[in-house]
Amino acid sequence: MKHYLLLILFLSISSFGFAQNQVSGTVTDASAVPLPGVTVMAEGTGNGAYTDFDGHYSINAEEGETLVFSYVGFLPESRTVGAARTLDVILNEDSQQLDEVVVVGFGTVKKVNLSGAVNSVSTEQLSTRPVSNISQGLQGMSPGLNIDFASGAPGASPRINIRGFTSINGGDPLILIDNIPSDISYLNQLAPEDIESISVLKDASSAAIYGARAAFGVLLVTTKDGASGKPRINYNTYFTAATPTVLPEKISDPYIYMRLQKTFSGKTPWDNQFFTDEQWQWARERSDNPSGTEAVRQNSSTGMWEYMGNRDWSEYFLSSTTHSQNHNVSVSGGTDRTNYFISGSYNKDNGALILADDYYTRTGLRSKINAELTDWLSLGNNTSFINGKRKNPSYFDLMSVYNFNVYDYAENPDGSWANTPVGRMAARITDGGEENYATNTFRTNFNAQAWLLKDILKVNAQYTHEYESQNYDSFYSQYRIGFAPDDIREEGENRVWKAFGQENYDVFNLFATFTKTFGSDHDVTLLGGYNQEEYRDEYTSVNRRDVISNSLPTLELATGEMLGSQSIYSWAVTGLFYRANYIYKDRYILELNGRYDGSSRFPEDARYGFFPSVSTSWIVTQEDFMQDLKPAINLLKFRASYGTLGNQDVGSFGYIPSLRSGSGGNIIGESLPPTVISSPALVSDNYTWETVTTRNFGVDLGFLGNRINATFDIYRRDTQDMLTQSRELPGVLGAQEPLENAADLKTNGWELSLSYRNYIGTKKPLNFEARFNLSDSRSYITSFDNPNNSLTQYREGMELGEIWGLTSDGLFQSQAEIDALDQTSIIPWGALEIVEGWPKYVDRDGNQAIEVGTTADDPKDISVIGNMMPRYRFGFNLNMDWNNFDLGIFLQGVGKRDYYPQDYLYWGFYQQPYAGGYGHLNDFYRATDDSQDLMNMHSQSYIDAGLAQANTDARFPVAQSWLADRNLGERIDQAKGLAIPQTAYLLNGSYVRLKNITIGYSLPTTWTRNIGIKSLRLYLSGDNLLELSEIADFFDPEAISDIGSSLNPGASPSRGQTSGYQYPNQRKYAFGMNISF
Amino acid sequence: MNFIKSNLLNKIVLGAGLMALTACSDDLLEKLPETEIGAENFFNTEEDLSIYVLGMYNFPGSGIYYGDEATDNTATTGNREIKTIMTTQASANSITGGWNWEELRNINYFLEHTQDAEVTEDVRNHYIGVARFFRAQFYMEKLRRYSDVPWYDSALGNTSEDLYKASDPRETVVQKIFEDYQFALENVRESVPEGAVSKWVVAAYYSRNALHEGTFRKYHNELGLQTSADSYLNIAADVSQQIMDQGGFSVYNTGRPENDYHTLFESQNLSGNPEVILTNIFEDDIKNQGDPQYLFGSYEMSPTQDLLSAYLMTDGTYFSQQPEPAAMSFVEEFKNRDPRLSQTFAYPGWELYYTSTYSPGNTTYVQEFKKSFTGYHQIKGFVNDAAQDVRSGVDVPVLRYAEVLLNYAEAKAELGELTQAALDATLNQLRDRAGIPHLSMAVQADPVQAGRYPQVSDPVLLEIRRERRVEMALEGRRLDDLNRWGAGKLMEKEPVGMYFPGLGSYDLTGDGVDDIVLLNESDAIPNPKETNSLGQELIYYKVGSVGNISANVYLTNGNSGNIVATPERGTFLEPKHYYRPIPASEVQLNPNLEQVFGWD
Repeated sequence: MKHYLLLILFLSISSFGFAQNQVSGTVTDASAVPLPGVTVMAEGTGNGAYTDFDGHYSINAEEGETLVFSYVGFLPESRTVGAARTLDVILNEDSQQLDEVVVVGFGTVKKVNLSGAVNSVSTEQLSTRPVSNISQGLQGMSPGLNIDFASGAPGASPRINIRGFTSINGGDPLILIDNIPSDISYLNQLAPEDIESISVLKDASSAAIYGARAAFGVLLVTTKDGASGKPRINYNTYFTAATPTVLPEKISDPYIYMRLQKTFSGKTPWDNQFFTDEQWQWARERSDNPSGTEAVRQNSSTGMWEYMGNRDWSEYFLSSTTHSQNHNVSVSGGTDRTNYFISGSYNKDNGALILADDYYTRTGLRSKINAELTDWLSLGNNTSFINGKRKNPSYFDLMSVYNFNVYDYAENPDGSWANTPVGRMAARITDGGEENYATNTFRTNFNAQAWLLKDILKVNAQYTHEYESQNYDSFYSQYRIGFAPDDIREEGENRVWKAFGQENYDVFNLFATFTKTFGSDHDVTLLGGYNQEEYRDEYTSVNRRDVISNSLPTLELATGEMLGSQSIYSWAVTGLFYRANYIYKDRYILELNGRYDGSSRFPEDARYGFFPSVSTSWIVTQEDFMQDLKPAINLLKFRASYGTLGNQDVGSFGYIPSLRSGSGGNIIGESLPPTVISSPALVSDNYTWETVTTRNFGVDLGFLGNRINATFDIYRRDTQDMLTQSRELPGVLGAQEPLENAADLKTNGWELSLSYRNYIGTKKPLNFEARFNLSDSRSYITSFDNPNNSLTQYREGMELGEIWGLTSDGLFQSQAEIDALDQTSIIPWGALEIVEGWPKYVDRDGNQAIEVGTTADDPKDISVIGNMMPRYRFGFNLNMDWNNFDLGIFLQGVGKRDYYPQDYLYWGFYQQPYAGGYGHLNDFYRATDDSQDLMNMHSQSYIDAGLAQANTDARFPVAQSWLADRNLGERIDQAKGLAIPQTAYLLNGSYVRLKNITIGYSLPTTWTRNIGIKSLRLYLSGDNLLELSEIADFFDPEAISDIGSSLNPGASPSRGQTSGYQYPNQRKYAFGMNISF
Repeated sequence: MNFIKSNLLNKIVLGAGLMALTACSDDLLEKLPETEIGAENFFNTEEDLSIYVLGMYNFPGSGIYYGDEATDNTATTGNREIKTIMTTQASANSITGGWNWEELRNINYFLEHTQDAEVTEDVRNHYIGVARFFRAQFYMEKLRRYSDVPWYDSALGNTSEDLYKASDPRETVVQKIFEDYQFALENVRESVPEGAVSKWVVAAYYSRNALHEGTFRKYHNELGLQTSADSYLNIAADVSQQIMDQGGFSVYNTGRPENDYHTLFESQNLSGNPEVILTNIFEDDIKNQGDPQYLFGSYEMSPTQDLLSAYLMTDGTYFSQQPEPAAMSFVEEFKNRDPRLSQTFAYPGWELYYTSTYSPGNTTYVQEFKKSFTGYHQIKGFVNDAAQDVRSGVDVPVLRYAEVLLNYAEAKAELGELTQAALDATLNQLRDRAGIPHLSMAVQADPVQAGRYPQVSDPVLLEIRRERRVEMALEGRRLDDLNRWGAGKLMEKEPVGMYFPGLGSYDLTGDGVDDIVLLNESDAIPNPKETNSLGQELIYYKVGSVGNISANVYLTNGNSGNIVATPERGTFLEPKHYYRPIPASEVQLNPNLEQVFGWD
């Protein structure tokens, strides 16, 4: 690309000559195959031409001019025009591309020689657009690498998963940073600009070398090395302004809100919304004349403040612009024998919350030094120090922020906080204390490489120590609420927390690599090694109430009882691993990988496992008979792999039956017993590794001189012997069934990636590259001991994510319809009245009653109505550059996903009368027009909205609070009313998100060179600019992506995860700069 | 050559050295928990035994004040099991609560591990006694629901065959339960810290449950165990007698009949109260009381007129002897009544200090009406104080000596052995506190009370049952009493509230000044509203028949009659509804379990 940019630069400032002569010729590749479409430019003149289908070209050029021949995928060639009018040129394939190297476990391999399913991810975007952490930059970039940001909280870690559902016990990919296993929070603390390469290892054969922890894929991250030469300084920075993507939209008219609240609760047994006539009157005035009607006044009899707000309060707390910034500076350089890379970075990511600090900062230092001591021995050190700090108010409850009544208010006229939930939240956020959580991670890695036989046998030793300290400081303090002008009261508690943790982690690797080519056709690589890791984490937490002074919230200056707790856990693994790779004639590849692993998490007799794999590939385009098709077909390669890995991702001490401890619940004498002990959980004799077997088949294709590249993989993964509660035992056991290796799962999936790159125009060509990736997977339980096929347990044949529910039959339109169908068994709390306008269901089993069955064999009136698993995940990247301008567009999304809403953010007052007022529910069933009495009370806005008129052809049911109450439980056997999924309100959860657009401009080097700048690029960028989804009418489409616990049919999902109550993701607008000196 | 060789040698030595580092790794994989303890290192000292049994504590808190919901004492909009059973097609698929066995496992595990403790036999037996007491408590709950249940006295493993055993017959289970109570009574210490299980806590439950078993057998023919009823009534009497003779408890009576009773339910500190056998202690910010604010106001519950009518007049006569008791106004109903009424119900002129969502208004309270509520408001257990730290520190009297006295009187009356002296020593102690005349062995039956319990002919026993209902009202004992007396049918009675003879304005605060106006649903509320002579706006309600949607309040006759609470009470099927089904899924897992009395 750089070449083109320079070329264009020249062209744009050049002048045209005249009276030129024709030069013509043929352009071929190294094997004499003609290349069509090669650009031929007469340097400095602006003249240009293309080769035709036979590789012929002709161009006007004078003797002495330089012709530049360029073609995607090939190295450009420059020729000076001589006397001859014919100039044939041979272009060589761009070896950088041919020799593209991919990092794999304990080594690197040429991309073309891969036999497993490995994807290397473009890291370019990690510095050219504003990503505050690496996982943000990886989302949507690689097929099968699934990244979901449910929460937009500053510093929040996403869920990372490779190839879909892994195990009913979960199972995350192994993340290695410079060969050191790391958790995702550490990954997100790295400066994205420091990353050199990222590989995603997806199948068993590529991951096998990491054994016990790599069953669900590996993410290999390599940081930048120094390069020999003069020091090169890079500075990257950006500033962003951000606002929330989607906030639930509420009716802000207080009369409409109150009237709906009253109407919904009015015909239930819990008619508990009390409004006085004065309040109705006030609400009506505020509605009819918002600016001329006061929002706060004193009650005439009590003198207390009373309020009539008219806004959506979530915006008061969240919707404003917050600012973040990022700086990264690096220096690299070296001599022939040594090189170094040093970087420093700072990122501040501000959340959406206003009124108080709510941010995450990371500050990182990194140094990487390599030295060749002798011709056979080199040493290196890679050290990093990272500080991460999260600061936020102690009190912050997102659920109440979304749920405030619009008629609440925040501030009194005297400036004190209002005596309302809104005022209280604001007071707590501003004065109620703060929470700080800081981690300091120090990691140092020493490595040595010794060539025992030059270029044939080398030994590498690596030792890493990581020390992390965690510091948590927080306090709650009292805040003040104004009840009346002279009545300001203190509320809340005074308590201080202090927690500190330390983690020590040691990793030792020793491996030897043998590489030799025998004859000219036999390439052999052998690798064998040893790995051992030891981890220990200790966390202590203390708290004490009754802080003496809010300004000194420390443990020492508090008078209450000191309460503390401590946890320690530790684990270790060891492993012996090998890889044998054989390549015959550059076209037949066979590779064997394997590992013998031991884990401390299993009982002594089940501690070790051996996990082998095999893979093979055939590069068809290396065959002689394919040479004629080049470059139309540059690459055709088939890959196949098979292997088994172990999963040890279970609790540290799950096989040891320890007594359980808790805190005492009864005051004895004067205090609570600090600890009580109870009987241990049951542990089974059958407790060992889960095994994961993957079969993978893949094809790699390159067309038209690698203008078009395609990779397709299809796989099946069998997760076997998953640890789960054994067969359901009678309740008299009095304990959870012990975990046993008793369940199996299979996942089928495929992945596709396509890329196309080319340019348009000759004088100032427009270069572009489009990349598209798409993946899908489905998982099924293949074995589970659930003899009754109960719907509240996993069961054989069950597809993960399936949603059971009723089939909607509209709304009841008459009493006769109600009488003909007995729906009493699904009435929430057994207490609501089934009236006209109630949801009506299809009686699938034909017994004139709507019931929810408990087994798959007899599901009564429920059936599978959808699936919540995201499918057809895709990412689309388009990058263009023209005349020093560059443009990047990135779309990302999910092609298919069903979602059934079960909380306020969709159901509003149908859930309970405490939150709601969502406009989409206004089309609810109203049997009759309102009475004249009511009409006289209504505000004009209420009448104008049509809410006072009958509406029997409605989308939503009759106004009844508790009709959609989730509080009986969301599990299918617990849910009642509209909390039971049903077809009419099942939402399409697919989405397309315009994740990023970046426009950059690189200043011509002719301008910058004079001031000592090698390159300078400025850019404007927008993140999360647009989302297309049915869900986006209610909340961010990614806010429901944390479906982990909902997938277990036996779990009762808690409210936070899939209800949309998530810290908002943000739309970000950034200005940034990349400078090199 | 030599140089190259030695270089190679160096490399090999280096490699070997690195390999050697990796050798001893067997210990590496041996990681053990450091903040958890295994059974082999526990159960050694008295401290160990003590902190284990403290984990068994499960005494109720302020939830007891909600416990009468859906009985004839309290109307409710809430979700109560007995209401669901009576009003829906209840089955073993829908009634699935109660089949929890974790506590039993925890207790049996303890009992299996106490032998190794290095403590004296007395100490060991005290803790075994406490554990066996909790086992007896556990099984009494199972017995109440299922009658026959499998008995286990060891912690089961996941391969135990006993997982699949059939239920043991009630007689066997009861015998084991009372062996546990007896052991506990003989071995648990008398003197323990406040809030802990003592000999007298054991005895009080022993007394309650022996009376339960005795009366249950007597009034439930379906069991065919009537002949053995007396032996349990005897235990109830004997154990109660032992508490009375040796426990040192007495009825809390400072000579203030208007307050003494209510003090028990709103005290910051019940320790030292002579009547309380077991306190569930609450302290602000250490262990906060549940703050049962919702039992007052219009959230889910309201006391019934049926309960109100059970209270005697101050002179000891029956309310039913008043002229037209059913057509009495709210203010009249509270005149000259057993003072416990005004310490249980919000009376005319009662002052409200703590207001919340469901209890609006302040100072002199004007009873708030709403559909589904009787208009009466419960104040027993409601902490009428605006200060959060006061509300969260109110102690709950889990066991009161009053109940022991009532147990004794009832057991003796059922046995036909009651004397006036025994009455004076028990039930009449409670009447003394309330300042009303003693119950006499010569009392004449109240026809209304006799109508409630057709199986009882003894007028004294009828009055003992009345006394129990009044004294223990809204403390969560009513459902159990109705069950053991075979009186479930009483719960079919439609719960109603205050009476109004017609439309018009009424005084609810007892000062003679009208507070509310009842309008016909078609009448308009005047604008502005009228004010009363105190200058307060009248509160308007539109009344109508049940189902009339423009009415704020339903009256039994539309424009007159009693306020209608939740109209649908359903059917109490005898004997089925005295029991609960074993969850259907459990019968599927263990076909040897049999459902009782018509459940499926």
